[in-house]
Amino acid sequence: MGFEKIRTEAMSQRKAMQTSPNARVLIGTGTCGMAAGAGDVLESLESELAKSNIEADIIQVGCIGLCYAEPLIEIIKPGMPSVFYANVTPELMSEIVSDYLIAGNPRADLALGTRGEGTLDGIPQLFDLPVLKSQVRIALRNCGNIDPENIYHYVASGGYEGLRKALKIKRQEVIDEVKRSGLRGRGGAGFPTGVKWQFCHDSPGTTKYIVCNADEGDPGAFMDRALLEGDPHAVLEGMLIGAYALGASEGYIYIRAEYPLAIQRLKVALKQMEECGLLGDNIMDSAFSFHIKIKEGAGAFVCGEETALMASIEGNRGMPRPRPPFPAQAGLWGKPTNINNVETWSNISAILRRGADWYAGYGTEKSRGTKTFSLVGKIMRPGLIEVPMGITLREIIYEIGGGIPEEKAFRAVQTGGPSGGCLPASFLDSPVDYESLAEAGSIIGSGGMVVLDEDTCMVDIARYFLAFTQAESCGKCIPCRWGTKQMLDILEDIVSGNGREGDIDLLIELSEAVKDGSLCALGGTAPNPVLTTIRYFRDEYEAHIFEKRCPALACKSLISYYVIPEKCEGCGICARACPAEAIMGDKRMVHVIDQDRCTKCGTCFEVCPSKFSAIAVVSGEPVTVPLEPVPVGSKA
Amino acid sequence: MEAITITLDGVEVGGHPGMTILDLARESGVDIPSLCHDPLLTPIGACRICLVEDERSGRLLASCVTPIESGMVINTQSPKVQERRKTIIKLILASHPDTCLVCDKGNQCELRKIASDMGVGLVGLQKIPLKATIEEVNPFIERDLSKCILCAKCIRADHEIVVQGAIDYIERGFASKPATLNDSPLENSDCTFCGACVAICPTGALMEKKLVYRGTTLTNVSTICPFCGCGCSINLEVKDNQIVRARPGKEGVVSRGALCVKGSYGYDFVHSPERLTSPLVKVNGDFEAVSWDEALAKVASELKRIKETQGPNSLALLGSSKCTNEENYLLQRLARGVLGTNNIDNASRLYSAPSIVGLGSTVGFPGTTNSLNALEQSEVIMVIGANLTSSAPAVGYAVKRAARYKGAKLLLIDPQQTNLSSFAHLWLRPGVGTDLALVNGMARVIVTEGLLDEEFVTRKTDNYEVWSKELEKYTPGYVEEVTGVPGDDVVRTARLFAEANLASIVYGDGITQHLTGTDTVIALANLAMLTGNVGLGGGIFALQRDCNGLGACDMGALPDLLPGYQSVGNPQAIKTFADRWDTDLPSDGGLTAIEMIDHAIEGKVKGMYIVGENPVLSFPNQSLIKEALTSLDFLVVQDMFLTETAKLANVVLPAASFAEKEGTFTNFEGRIQRVCKVIEPIGDSLPDWEIIVQLANSMGNPMPYSSLQQVKEEIQELVPLYQDTGYMDPEAKDMHRGELEKAPLRSRRLYKGQFPSGFGRFSPVQYEPQEETPKDGYPLTLLTGSVLYHSGTGSRSSRSPRLSEFSPESYLEIGEPDATQFGISEGDEVRVVSPTGEVTAVAKFTDVLPEGMLFMPLSFPSTPINQLFGIALDPRAKTPALKACAVKLERIQPRG
Repeated sequence: MGFEKIRTEAMSQRKAMQTSPNARVLIGTGTCGMAAGAGDVLESLESELAKSNIEADIIQVGCIGLCYAEPLIEIIKPGMPSVFYANVTPELMSEIVSDYLIAGNPRADLALGTRGEGTLDGIPQLFDLPVLKSQVRIALRNCGNIDPENIYHYVASGGYEGLRKALKIKRQEVIDEVKRSGLRGRGGAGFPTGVKWQFCHDSPGTTKYIVCNADEGDPGAFMDRALLEGDPHAVLEGMLIGAYALGASEGYIYIRAEYPLAIQRLKVALKQMEECGLLGDNIMDSAFSFHIKIKEGAGAFVCGEETALMASIEGNRGMPRPRPPFPAQAGLWGKPTNINNVETWSNISAILRRGADWYAGYGTEKSRGTKTFSLVGKIMRPGLIEVPMGITLREIIYEIGGGIPEEKAFRAVQTGGPSGGCLPASFLDSPVDYESLAEAGSIIGSGGMVVLDEDTCMVDIARYFLAFTQAESCGKCIPCRWGTKQMLDILEDIVSGNGREGDIDLLIELSEAVKDGSLCALGGTAPNPVLTTIRYFRDEYEAHIFEKRCPALACKSLISYYVIPEKCEGCGICARACPAEAIMGDKRMVHVIDQDRCTKCGTCFEVCPSKFSAIAVVSGEPVTVPLEPVPVGSKA
Repeated sequence: MEAITITLDGVEVGGHPGMTILDLARESGVDIPSLCHDPLLTPIGACRICLVEDERSGRLLASCVTPIESGMVINTQSPKVQERRKTIIKLILASHPDTCLVCDKGNQCELRKIASDMGVGLVGLQKIPLKATIEEVNPFIERDLSKCILCAKCIRADHEIVVQGAIDYIERGFASKPATLNDSPLENSDCTFCGACVAICPTGALMEKKLVYRGTTLTNVSTICPFCGCGCSINLEVKDNQIVRARPGKEGVVSRGALCVKGSYGYDFVHSPERLTSPLVKVNGDFEAVSWDEALAKVASELKRIKETQGPNSLALLGSSKCTNEENYLLQRLARGVLGTNNIDNASRLYSAPSIVGLGSTVGFPGTTNSLNALEQSEVIMVIGANLTSSAPAVGYAVKRAARYKGAKLLLIDPQQTNLSSFAHLWLRPGVGTDLALVNGMARVIVTEGLLDEEFVTRKTDNYEVWSKELEKYTPGYVEEVTGVPGDDVVRTARLFAEANLASIVYGDGITQHLTGTDTVIALANLAMLTGNVGLGGGIFALQRDCNGLGACDMGALPDLLPGYQSVGNPQAIKTFADRWDTDLPSDGGLTAIEMIDHAIEGKVKGMYIVGENPVLSFPNQSLIKEALTSLDFLVVQDMFLTETAKLANVVLPAASFAEKEGTFTNFEGRIQRVCKVIEPIGDSLPDWEIIVQLANSMGNPMPYSSLQQVKEEIQELVPLYQDTGYMDPEAKDMHRGELEKAPLRSRRLYKGQFPSGFGRFSPVQYEPQEETPKDGYPLTLLTGSVLYHSGTGSRSSRSPRLSEFSPESYLEIGEPDATQFGISEGDEVRVVSPTGEVTAVAKFTDVLPEGMLFMPLSFPSTPINQLFGIALDPRAKTPALKACAVKLERIQPRG
C-alpha cells in the first residue's frame, strides 16, 4: 500500500468520524488512568450508553499528562467544543452520560475545560488553565488526542510526514536538519543529537544499528512510558528517520519489561507499520529498508547507560564498558550504533515534519525546543508536562503545578532523578536548561522533577536517592560499588542520630572519589544528591550531627511525640489508635507516651482531634511532661 | 603505523595507536598500580586504581582503558591522583577482612602491596564486611569471597582464556560477586578446576586447598607439565624439597596463563608415599630393597647372559613417552649399541604411530605441521576424533577461543557430545570407525565442486590424478549410508573447509586407535593438501597423549627408525651412528611393542627392560600381557611406582619424577621445551638417564658422558630435526624441531609450503567396515577415552591425592534409553563383557551418547578396561585397536 493511499484512508476515516452524528468519548486508559480507576469508568460508560440506547464512539487514548485529574474523559458532541471532565468516577460517568450526552447539559460544575471552536458557559478553555497555558506539546503532541493503537489516527495528525520528507532529501541533509534544530539528547546527558548522528554516519561500515532507549528507570519518572503508551508511532517514525539518515537497516527498542502496556502498544504499532509498508523492505516504496526488534530489559537501572544497554541486547549481563570505542564507532556486536531516548525520537519526527527552524524557535539559545518532565512530589497538580526550555522552576512549580499543598513552604526541588540534585528556593527563578541546572549542581536528566516541602528532611532525601543508586550499581567499579555503600552507611548514621564530626567532610571526599573514579554516569553522578544537599542544606546535616535534631521533623530516630499536658483532654482516642500500645492514661487523665515503646508512627498526631491538637512532635529539644498520667487540669 | 607522542610525567614518550596509557607507561618504566589489569585479559577498568590525571582537562582517566592520543599530557602522580587512589584503597580495605596475618596469600597479595606502597594503613572508614563464603567440598580450590575485590580477573580468565563459562557476576551493587550459575558450589557447576582463576586472583579470595606450606617460597622453578602432550609451562614453588604449589608458567606459549586440573593440582603424585625409594630385587616371590650397585649388577649380568645365550634379539626394550628426549636417546643407544638389538619401542605406539606413518608417507613430516598459535588463527577448525577439553585441555582452550572470539568456524566430528559441541558451527556424528569414509566423502565434494587449491595441488603435490579417481564411490549418499551423517552435512562441511583461507584439522586417539588409524590419518592429510592447508597457514594437528610421545619417537625409541627417523635399513645412517658410537649396530628391523608380547609368548623374547611404561594396563588383553611378561627369563622395570607391570619384574629400578631431573620434552606441536630440576630425587631414586648410563657402565660398555649436556650435544649432532633449533642454548625460548629456515630441507618442518621431500603425496585409502561395530551377542559399542582428571593408565594421577579424591573410581556412561532397555538404574554396578574380557563399573546416566553407545574412561588401575580388547593391530602402524569394542551388559546389583 503506498503512503498516499494510507493518508487518503486516514483522512477519510477522520472525516467520517468528524461528520458522524455520534458523540465521541475519549477516555485516558494509559497505565496512569487505569490506576486511577479509568477501567471502572469505562465499564460504567459502556453500560450507561447501552442502557440509554445511545450510540457514541468510545476512543481509548493515552495520557494527556494531567495526572491529578485522572480518570479524565473528553466528550465531543457534533458541533460543540469538546468538554473535559476530571476525576471521573463511575457514578459521575453515569451522571455525565444522562446530563450531557442525553440531556445536553454540559454540567459546567463538573467540567474541567473545553477544547476546540466555541465556548460553553461557565467552562474555561482547557489550554487557558494555568496547568496547560505555558506548556508546548511537541514530543507529546498526540498523547491523549489519538487512539495509539490506530495508525490512521497518527497519520491523520500529520504522522509519517516527517519520514516522507526525509526520504526525499539526502541522508546528510536529514542530519543537517537535526543539527540545525539544536535538539539535544533527552535521555539526560544533553549531547547534541545531530552531532551524535554525524559520528555514527561517518563511521565506516555497512551494518549499523539504531536503538531506542526506553529503559526509563529514575524513581518518579514516567515520561517515556506515557509517550510510548500514548503515541508510539511518533517515536517509531523518529527511529525510521534516524535509520535512513545513518544508513541503518536494523533497530532495537530496549524497554523495561515493567512497561507491559507500552510494549503492547509498540507491538501493535510495529504490526500496523508493516501492514502499511512503513516497516520492512522498501519503505514508502523507496530503497530504504528497516526492521525493528523489541528487547525487554529485566529492570536493571544501569541498563539505561548505553554501553550496558548494548551488552544487555547482546544477551550479556548489562554492565557498562569503557569508552572509547563509542557506540558510534563500535556498538552493538561491534558495529556503529546510534542510541537515542524515546523523547528524542519523538522530537525527531516532529522536527522533520515541521522543520528545524520551527523547533529551534522554542527554548533558549543553547537548549532548544521543549522538554517533558514528570512533576511529582509535594505539588498540587502532579502530572506529565512539556515546557519550552528556559522556563523557570517557579513557573513550573507554582503555575503549572499549582504550588505546594496545605500551604506548606517550598523546601527544594529535586531534578534529574538519582543522578540529579536538590535545588533550594534561591533557584526558583533560574531558567530550566542544561547549562543552568548543571551550574547549580543538578541536571535536567531524563525529566524527573520532585517537589519537596518543609516536611521533607534533605539528609533523608539524599539517603533515599543514594540507597537507590547503591542498590542499582552494577558492581563493576570499586568507587561506585563500595564508595556509595560507605556513603549510604554514613547517611544512615546521620539520620539515625549517630552522625559524627567529620562525616560531612568524609561524605565530600567519598563523593569526589566516586564521581572521579567511576566508569559510567551512574557512578559519576550518584553523589549529586548528597553533594547538592550538603551544598544548599548543610545546616540540616549539622543539626542532625551535632544537635541530633531533624529540622523537618522527619527522621524517626531524632524525633519524639509528646502529649502536651495543658491541651490533653483525656479523650483516649490516641491511646486506642496507638498500634504500639505506647500511650498510657485513662479517660480524663492527661495521657503520657512511653518513649521506649513509641515507634514514632505519627498515628497519635493524626488522630488527636484538631480542637485539642494535644500531640507535639519535637526534635532535639527537651520537653517537660509528667511521667505518669495525671488528671486533666491538675498541675503536673 | 604512525607513532603517537604524549607527555608522561613531564617526559615525552612515543607509542603506537591502540596502546593504552597504562601500556605505554609500563613500557616506559613508569609504575602505575592496578588490581584488575592483566596483559592476558581484556582490560575493563574496574578497580580504578590506575587513575591518572589529564593535565589539560583536569579529568581523571582510568589508564588501563584509555587509549593514548597525540598531545596528551598525563600526570600519573598528581596530588589528586594520589588522593583518589588512596580513597579507593581505603574503600577496599574497609570491606576486606583484617586477616592478613593468617591469609595464605601472604606477601603475594597485590592489594596488600599496593596499600603498603601508598602508605594506607589506617582506613578511617567503617568496616563493612562482605557476605560470607561458600563451603566447598572439592579438594582443589577454596573460595573466600569475603576477600574478593571484584577485579573480575577470575571471570575474565574463565571466559577469555579457558572459555569455560563456569563463573560470572551475580547480583548488583554491594552484593555483586563472582559466582557460578545459581551461585552453586564449584563442584556442582561447570568448573573444571583448571586453576586459572586461582593463579590470577590478586588477593586471597581464591586459593589452593591443602597447601602444605603457607608462606612465600624462595625457590620457584619453571618447567614442563608431565601429563598430556600439550606441554604447558608450569611454575613450581618449592619449600624444603617439597613442591608446594603449581602455577601456569608466566612465559608459557602453550599454557597462556592457564593449566588444567592435572597441571595445577596433579603434581602431588611426586610426593606420594608410594614412591619407590630404593632398587628392589625379587627373591622367592618377594621384593627386597637392595643397593644400586647390587641391582645394576644383577640387571647387567642377566641381560648379558640372555644376550649371550639367546642372541641380542631375545631382548626387548620399551622406552617411555613420559621420559625426556635425552633418556629415550640413551635407551635406544643402550638397545642398539650395547645390547645389539633394534627391539625398542615406546608407548606412543599405542596411540600415535599412525600419525608418524600416515603423515610421514603423505606430507613427509612426522607430526603436527604448525604451531598452536596458527591453529588459533584458523578460520575453520575441524576437530575429529578428539575430546580436546579432556585429552588436550590447552588445545581445547585455543579452539574455544578461536570459535568464541576470533570468528573461527568449528566443524566437530564426534559421535559423542563433548564440551566443544556447543561451540561447533556444524557437528557431525558419524558411526564408530567410519571417519575414513566421511573424510574421503569431503574430499570428493571438494574435487567434484572444484573447490580445491589448484595451484597448491599442481605445484606442490603429486599423485593427485590417481588419488582423486579412487574417491568416486564416496558420494554424499554413500557416505550417509556408511556413516549415518546426512549427505547434505557432508557437503556443507566440505565446502566450509575448502572455502576457508586458513583451515586446520585437529585429531586424536579417536582416529589413531582404530584399526584403520593410519589410513584415516592419510585421508586427513590428503584433505589438508587438497585445500592447500599444509605448510603455510592452517595445518594438521596430531595430538599426543603423553608429555613426550613425539620426542620418544624423534629420539629413535622405535624398532625401525634411528634417531631423527633415519631408517635402520639405511646403511648410511647406520654407519653414522656406528662410527659415532664406535660399535657395530644391528640393521634388521626390530619388534614393535605388541610384537614383543607375541614374541615373549612364543618364547623368542626372553628378557625385557621396560622404562616408565605400564603395559599390563596400557596394552590390550591384560591376561595375555601378564602371561607374556611372567614367561620371561628376566624382566626389569624402571618406574616411580610399583605399578601392575613392575610387580611382575625381577628387578625394579626406582626412577625420579619429572621434577627431579633435567632434560627436554617435545610437545605435540614439535616444540622442544626444557624440563628443569625442581627438587632432589626422592629417596634413592635416580633420573632415568643416570640409571641408563650406569647400567651401560655395569655392562662393561660405558657411555662417554659425564653430563647431560654431552648427551644433548650428541643429539644435536646426530638428529637433524634438532639442529639449529636453539636446543643447546639454555636461554632459548620457543624452540621448534625442524623450524628454522637454515635447517636442511629434509629435516625441517614444512616451510613456506615446501614439503620436505619436495612434494606432498596423495595416497588413496579405502574405507572397509571394521569388526569393532556391534555383533551378535554383543549389541553395544563401548568407547574408551581420556578423562580430564586422570592421565594414561593412572599410575601417576591415581596417586595424586587431590585428583584421586575428586575422581576416585571408574564408571560406565550410558544413555537412559539403553539403560532402560537393559534394566539398569543409575548407580547400579554393571558388568561390561566383551568377547575378550570383562570389567565392572557403576552406571552413570548421560545424554551425550547416541543410542547403543557406551563410554568408559581410561586411567583407573582398579578398572583395567583394556582387558576388554583383543589384540588387533593396524596393519601399517602396528597400533592396537583400543578405542571401541562390542560389549554386552550384565547388571550385578543395585548400589548401596
